[in-house]
Amino acid sequence: VSKSDLTDAELVRRCRANDADAWNELVERYSRYVYAIAVRGFRLSDEDAEDVFQDVFTRIYTRLDSLRDDSALRPWIAQLTRRRCLDALAARRDVPVDDLLTEEGSSDLSEVEAAFEVREALAGLSEACQDILDRFFTRDQSYKTISDELEIPSGTIASRIARCLGRLRVELEGRNDAPDGSRG
Amino acid sequence: VGGDYLELRLGDFLDRLSADGLAPGGGSAAALTVAFSARLVAMVARSTLAWEEAAGVSAQANAIAERAVELAHTDGRVWEDALTALRDAEAGAEDDPRRDFALEQKLEAAAAAPLEIASLGADSAALAALAGEHGHATYRADAAAAAALAAGGASAAAHLVRVNLGVRSADPRLARALASEQAAHDVAARLLESHR
Repeated sequence: VSKSDLTDAELVRRCRANDADAWNELVERYSRYVYAIAVRGFRLSDEDAEDVFQDVFTRIYTRLDSLRDDSALRPWIAQLTRRRCLDALAARRDVPVDDLLTEEGSSDLSEVEAAFEVREALAGLSEACQDILDRFFTRDQSYKTISDELEIPSGTIASRIARCLGRLRVELEGRNDAPDGSRG
Repeated sequence: VGGDYLELRLGDFLDRLSADGLAPGGGSAAALTVAFSARLVAMVARSTLAWEEAAGVSAQANAIAERAVELAHTDGRVWEDALTALRDAEAGAEDDPRRDFALEQKLEAAAAAPLEIASLGADSAALAALAGEHGHATYRADAAAAAALAAGGASAAAHLVRVNLGVRSADPRLARALASEQAAHDVAARLLESHR
């Protein structure tokens, strides 16, 4: 089983056993998440986001033993990140953290959560599906370009993408139905 | 360009389109025509519960519409730049290689947006073809209308590519634009014919 296939609970157990590869996988798995919360959720500057990033992963490393439920790694990281982002905002504006807690938008991380869940679900699809969805939705490639580069008939591209989206939906629904069954 | 087109009331946008001055112009109108086309396809797909791929087709159509709206803004901006450079060139000295080079660069940029708009027109028409085949019978006329709009947007955009690049028929960008136009028209002709 490659590290990227481990559930969060398994990953936490290996990190606790000082498995260096598991630590690398944890950082790889959650670096974008932490950064997205800081930049998109709290609109921190790149400089502040980098500070939050360093601090959050330092805390994860030193406090992993305090995580009570190994499968709850992601909400724990979200909570750590959120606190550090509020600290950074409070320091930047020279106001108490409590003053920021009611600020509209600062705690709305639903978009970041949704984007992260989609990214995780994508990893459960075939490479062909990941590739064609990435080409159309991320790289904005036309059907003609996809057809030329993948050497598949142009008329079948939209249907292939639709079927891959169907599989993505099943993958997402499966994750929502099984709280501990997800990789993330 | 000033302001988001989607934030404008439709009547206000049309007033801006017909007003003297700069953007929005033909490229923006072509892009929004493609956006109309794609949203119509999404409507047909969402109205066809029995079609297994409907949700996936609708998602693609909405993505195409969003890109088309972005291109409506982009086209307006680059077209204004090119038009300003063109007026400066007309008002300036006859021989100014640096100015002429800068103008050529602006016109090339002004051709890039309609090239993408034409491509989106072809893609929207491809989705309209699927909607025409699998969509609920009640809405197949809307699929044909979507294809016709896509073809119109693609044609207008291809024409702007040709004009902005100058008369250089060997340019591969023009060939791409014309291929997109042809693909969209083929679908539109087929779907419209099926309703006669």
